[in-house]
Amino acid sequence: MALYTLDLGQVAAGIKSREFSAEEYIYQLLERIEKVELKVNAFVSVNKEALDKARVIDKKIRDGEQVGALAGVAVSIKDNICTKGIKTTCASKMLETFVPPYDATVVKRLYDAGAIVIGKTNLDEFAMGSTTEFSRHGTTRNPWDINMVPGGSSGGSAASVAALECTVSLGSDTGGSVRCPASFCSAVGLKPTYGLISRYGLVSYANSLEQIGPFGRTVSDVVSVLNAIAGADENDHTTAEGKPMYSLRERKGLRVGLVREFIEGAEPTVAKVVHKAVDTLAREGCRCEETSLASVQYALASYYTIATAEASSNLARYDNIRYGFDLSPEGYEWNSYFARVRSNFGEEVKRRVIVGSYVLSSGYYGKYYLKAQQVRSLLKRELKTLFEKYDVLIGPTMPILPFKIGEKIDDPLKMYLVDIDTVVANLAGMPAVSVPAGFADGLPVGLQIMADEFQEQTMLDAAYLFEQAAKVQRSPEL
Amino acid sequence: MVTKEEVKRLSWLARIELSEGELERYTLQIEEIVKYLDVLDTIPLEHVKPVVAKKKYADLRPDESSGFEGNALGTKYRKDGYVKGPRMV
Repeated sequence: MALYTLDLGQVAAGIKSREFSAEEYIYQLLERIEKVELKVNAFVSVNKEALDKARVIDKKIRDGEQVGALAGVAVSIKDNICTKGIKTTCASKMLETFVPPYDATVVKRLYDAGAIVIGKTNLDEFAMGSTTEFSRHGTTRNPWDINMVPGGSSGGSAASVAALECTVSLGSDTGGSVRCPASFCSAVGLKPTYGLISRYGLVSYANSLEQIGPFGRTVSDVVSVLNAIAGADENDHTTAEGKPMYSLRERKGLRVGLVREFIEGAEPTVAKVVHKAVDTLAREGCRCEETSLASVQYALASYYTIATAEASSNLARYDNIRYGFDLSPEGYEWNSYFARVRSNFGEEVKRRVIVGSYVLSSGYYGKYYLKAQQVRSLLKRELKTLFEKYDVLIGPTMPILPFKIGEKIDDPLKMYLVDIDTVVANLAGMPAVSVPAGFADGLPVGLQIMADEFQEQTMLDAAYLFEQAAKVQRSPEL
Repeated sequence: MVTKEEVKRLSWLARIELSEGELERYTLQIEEIVKYLDVLDTIPLEHVKPVVAKKKYADLRPDESSGFEGNALGTKYRKDGYVKGPRMV
């Protein structure tokens, strides 16, 4: 039996009932990784201790000990989330030797539930990008067509799930970095409400926007991971109180708003798939209608102002003194050492840090940063009004299909524009999930479902309903 | 209009050394990006309050160091238990 094809529920049940061992399952996954990695390049590193961890789980089960809900389940982790004893590079030369002395809260909670980290996944350097091309470890390729980008910045996580190299994964989403690659790779990817999941141990890029989020091949898998990692954490004061639990529910009569601006801005091929998705939801008893989110036209400018401003501040800490690559400070003057060291950031990181310095510089603060924060308020207010009328808002996750590797790499603005539909949820701090909606020209299209703050259950109800009705293919032949 | 001198000054403030080629390229690209951000000038926002964090400091955990086991530092440049940096003057 090809154990690497199983979903999370099947894996956890199979291991617990001793139908197969965690060791067999992890062994098959490692073989699978070896087979497909040359094509996909989803991983930055593979965890050599995964098999040992699997044997420990098997022994516990044989001895009749209690194990967690995710016992033996292989999870890949984006390489900007700290894993104790396992290198966390952010796909950057600046952290090429960094081995964290602690686990991120999400990783600790996955371990507590019995999950096994199978490896660390590729990303755009410091999570800045929409294609996973800006990585020191080379480009990750889309498993559906290896000439195409997998989306980003959590491209390695999405590709590893779609290519059956792990069962579930964790990514981070600052402006769409979970949902974009989920859409491009036909996976389910969820960005939670700001404060639902701890960011302790996530390498900071833009703190007021980013959240860690799970990937899976099904809504059910994503719910299982969410249940393991969500909830208050004293090490992240932005987390909300409580420990929510989500379930799969059959729910009819949801009120669904299709955001006109999202659909009008999409390529016709993408729009067609989304219209079909609306028909599917309507057939399933949802009340669907078109609605408008007028301030979306300002969202991207607001997002890139805030994200670059926060990035320029956050990345000031990389001075190569406490951790970094091998460059002796001997013979350098203070400032010239840092300027030399920091010239080793990649192309996109340098660009964003300089743009961030620009929008924060004296005389421009009121013109850009303050206005961007006002737009954020405006957008949130408009969304709150819409959520009085609708349970969920939907549209395409990405306005375009996955495109060729290298196609937009020299045109940063063109690259930024593809984030138009996803940044809204980050600016408003609201949850959003991308669910596979179908295919156009043989490439995946994702349906984005958004809900009001902390209304993840309603959002998952809609996602599950759609998934069950649409039955879209999840993993390609490789 | 974003000038080469501005980008040079900003990159110095951000402590990032740029090559001449990067300076040329970034000036053009940043000009284009900033022009796009100027859309923020077209919205009437006089009566809109900016987003602010809701939490108060009382919500924070006690400010006590919990420390880490093992070595939290990755650098090999050390002397007498101190981390070595470049000279100040």
